[in-house]
Amino acid sequence: MVLEGIKRGETVLEARGITKRFPGVVANDCIDFDIKAGEIHAILGENGAGKTTLMNILFGLLQPEEGEIYLGGKRVKFRSPLDAINLGIGMVHQHRKLVPAHSAIENIILGHPMAGNILNLKRAEKEVQELCHKYGFKVDLRAKVWQLSEGEKQVVEILKAIYRGAEILIMDEPTSALTPMETEKLLSSIEAMARDELAIVPFITHKLPVVLAISHRVTVLRRGKVVGCMETASTSEQGLAMQMVGREVIFRLERAEVEKGKPILQVENLSALSDKGFLALKGVSFSICEGEIFGIAGISGNGQRELVEVLAGLRNAEGGKVMWDGKDITHASNLERWQMGMGYIPCDRIEVGSIADFSLVENIALNYYFDDKFSRHGIMDYRNLRKQTEEMISEYDIATPGPETKAKNLSGGNLQKLILARVLSRRPRIVIADIPSQGLDVGATEFVQNKLIEAKKGKAGVLLISEDLDEILSLSDWVAAIYEGKFMGILPAEQARKENVGAMMAGLLQEEHQL
Amino acid sequence: MRIGGYQMKLEKRLTLSGWEAALISILAIIFALALFSLLFILAGINPLFAYQEIFSYAFVNPFGLPLTINRFIFLLLCTSAFIIPFKAGLWNIGMTGQLYAGALCAFGIVVAFGGKALNNPNLPPLLVIPLMLIGAALGGALLGAIAGLLRGRFNVNEIVVTMMLNFMTFWLVSFFIKEGGPYMKSGGEGESFELPTSLHVPLIKDIPFMVFIALGFALLLYYMFAKTRLGYQIKGYGLSPAAARYAGIKTFMIPLLVFIMGGALAGLAGYHYFAAVPGLYKIPKNYGYFGDLAFYGIICGLISQGNPIAAIPVALLFGGLSIGGRFVQGQLHMSFGVDYALLGVLMVTLVAFQFFYRHKIVWKKPGKEK
Repeated sequence: MVLEGIKRGETVLEARGITKRFPGVVANDCIDFDIKAGEIHAILGENGAGKTTLMNILFGLLQPEEGEIYLGGKRVKFRSPLDAINLGIGMVHQHRKLVPAHSAIENIILGHPMAGNILNLKRAEKEVQELCHKYGFKVDLRAKVWQLSEGEKQVVEILKAIYRGAEILIMDEPTSALTPMETEKLLSSIEAMARDELAIVPFITHKLPVVLAISHRVTVLRRGKVVGCMETASTSEQGLAMQMVGREVIFRLERAEVEKGKPILQVENLSALSDKGFLALKGVSFSICEGEIFGIAGISGNGQRELVEVLAGLRNAEGGKVMWDGKDITHASNLERWQMGMGYIPCDRIEVGSIADFSLVENIALNYYFDDKFSRHGIMDYRNLRKQTEEMISEYDIATPGPETKAKNLSGGNLQKLILARVLSRRPRIVIADIPSQGLDVGATEFVQNKLIEAKKGKAGVLLISEDLDEILSLSDWVAAIYEGKFMGILPAEQARKENVGAMMAGLLQEEHQL
Repeated sequence: MRIGGYQMKLEKRLTLSGWEAALISILAIIFALALFSLLFILAGINPLFAYQEIFSYAFVNPFGLPLTINRFIFLLLCTSAFIIPFKAGLWNIGMTGQLYAGALCAFGIVVAFGGKALNNPNLPPLLVIPLMLIGAALGGALLGAIAGLLRGRFNVNEIVVTMMLNFMTFWLVSFFIKEGGPYMKSGGEGESFELPTSLHVPLIKDIPFMVFIALGFALLLYYMFAKTRLGYQIKGYGLSPAAARYAGIKTFMIPLLVFIMGGALAGLAGYHYFAAVPGLYKIPKNYGYFGDLAFYGIICGLISQGNPIAAIPVALLFGGLSIGGRFVQGQLHMSFGVDYALLGVLMVTLVAFQFFYRHKIVWKKPGKEK
C-alpha cells in the first residue's frame, strides 16, 4: 500500500494543475486539489462545473491532458480505475453500480482479489460485519440489492470500496438520494471513517448544510476552475452558494396566493401492493383542488412510489377509489389519465421520464404521440413536434445544441427541464411531481420549484412528493406526512412546522383528528 | 501511435452520417475479402481469379444470377422478420420455425383445394396463389404470436421460446411430408407432393414476383419506423420499456405485435423457397438446409443495425457470396465449406468494423509538447 505510514493530517493525495478538455469545453482548467488523511474535503459546484471530470480523473476513468497526481508524495499515473483501486482509492457513484439480483455481500466481494474462484461468503460476511459495526452501518448483507432502499444501496457501495481496501473514498453526491434520517446516519458514519484516518472527498451540488455539517475543508468549482478553497468553519451557506453559482441565491420562495377552486382529484382509502407483494400503501385519503399544492413529506420507501404509480395508472389499486371530477377513475389506464389532463413527472428521469437514445423531439413525443395534433391516422407529425420542441427549448432555456440531440447528452438539470416542459405544456389539471428536484443543483432546483408555482397559478392542482422537508414546507398549501403507507396527518400550511411534520415522517407523532 | 511525423489518435464519433456508415461497410468488405484470399493462396489458387469467378457467377452469370436473387429474396424477408422484433429490443431466433409454419399453411391451402388428390389439377391461380400467400403469412404469424404473447403477458424469454419452436416445427414438417403424412408425395421418398403447374407463380426473367413483395416490405418497414405512431411506439419500447409504459404505450401489445409481423414475413420467406422458386415447387427432403439459411437473417439484421433499407444490399451480398462461394468450391475443386467460411469471415469483419461507427481515427501533426 502506497499510503501506509501516512499519519493523520498529512497529505495523502495531491493533484496539481489538472487540465482536461472535451470538444468545445475546458472541463477542468488547471485544478489544484489536495486531501489529508482523516480529512473530509468537500468539492462543491453546480452541474457542469467540472466535478465529475475531476473525480473521474482521480479515479482513473479519464486521463488528464496536463497536470500530475501525487499519492503519498509519489507521482502516479492511472491508466484505469483498477490502478486507482489497487492504490487505495475507492469511489461511490451517484448512480449505483450494483448487481440488483445479487445479495449485498455478493456485490461487496465482486471484483475483490480475495474472492478468487471459490467464494468464501461466510468469512467475507464476518469481516464486512465488523466494518459495519466499526462505522455504524446498518444493512442486511444477505438481502438482494433490489430489495434495498437507496440509502442501503449506498452503504453497500461504501462497504464495497472500503472492504477492497480504499483509504481515500470519493463520493459522488452522497446524500442526494437519501432521506433526512438516512443522511444523518450516513454523515455520522462518514465522520467515524474520517476519525479512522480515511480521507473522504464528497462531491456535492446542493444541500449545502451537509457540507457545513461534516467537512473540514471545502473547494468550490465553477466552470472548470477552482474559485476558492477554505476551512469550512470560516464559511457560511450564503457565501458558498454565491461562490458556486456566481450570483445571489434566494433560499426562500415566495408563496403564491391563489384563490382555491373546486376539487379535481379525490382519493378515498387507497391501498396498493409493492413490487415485493406486501401492502405498501395502507388506505390514504385526500383531495386536491384547483390552484393548490398538496405536499407529501416522507422518507422514501414508505408507500410514496406505490401511491404515485396508482394515481398515474401504472399500478393496480388493491382497495379504495380514485375520483376525477366526481367520476371513478380507479381502473382507467394511464393513457386515459394523460388524455383526461393528468401530468406525471416521474422521480426516475433517466429510466422512466426519458429515453436516452431518443432525440429531444422524440422525447417530447412521449407525452404527445397520442394527440391528434401530432399524429393523424397513425402517422407522426415530426415537423410539428420539432417546432414544439424548439419552442420548449427556448421557453425553458434548455442548454442543448439542437432538438435532434440525443437526450443522453443533456445534463441532469436540463433533462428535468425537458420533462417539465413536456408535461407542463400539456396544461394538465393535475400535476404529479415525484421528487422533482432530486439531484439537481441550486439553480435548477429553483427553476423547477418556480415552474410548479406557475402551474399552481394556472389553476392546476399539484401533488408534490419530496424527501426535502424544506421544499415541501415552502411550496405546499397542504402538507401530509406519510409513514409506513399511512398518512400520519394532513396539516394546512400555517400549522405545518419542521418539528411536527418531521416527527410525523419518523412515525413518532400522529395527528389526533384525521381530515 | 506515431507514424512518420504524424500522430494517430482514436476519437469518439459524436455523429455518423449515412454515407460514412456505407463507406465503413465497404471497407470492411474489402478487408474481409483480402483476409479470405489467404485461404485461396494456401490452396494454390490466385485469389483475384477466385473472386472474379465468385462475383461473376453470383451477379453476372445467367445461371448464377437468378439463384442469387432467389436467395436474396429469402434472406431479405428473413432479415425483415428479425428486424421488427429487434427494434422492440426483442430477439427473433425463430425465423426457421416460422418459415416452416408458413410453408405448411401454404401447402395446406393447396390440399384444401384438392391440389394433392388430383393429378396436376387446374386450380385458379388468381384465387389460390393469394390465398397461399395469406396462409403462409398467417402460419408464420401464428407461430410468432406464441413467442410474442408469452413475452408480453408472462415475460417469458422470447429467444428460448422461438428456438424451441424451431425444433418443434422441424419435426412437424417431417411428420407432414414423410411416409404416411398428409402432404406425402405419392410413392413416398420423404418429400411433399408437388404443386400443380397452374400454381407456379408468374416469373419475370426467371425471378418470382416475390422480389417485389420482399423489397416492398423493406420499404414499408422503413416508413413504419420513420413516420408512423406504431413505429414510434415499437422503438420507444425497444429502448426503454419503463419509459414506454410511463408514456401510456401498451407494453403487453408491443411484443405480440412485433412477433406477429416478423412471423408473417418469415412465413412468406417459407412460401418463397418452397412454392415460388422454379425447380422446387415442393417441400424437399433437405428442407432443413433452407431452415438453417434463415439464420443469416439474424446476421444481416445485425449488420444493417436494424435499418430495413440497409438490409437490402447486405442481404444481396450475402445471398450472392453464398451462391458464388458454393460455385467456386466445385469449380476449383476446393474442400467443402468455402461458402460458409467466406460468409463467416465477412460477418466477423463487418461486426468488428462497427467499432468505427463509434470511433474515428484522426491524424495529427503533433504540436509542441512541453
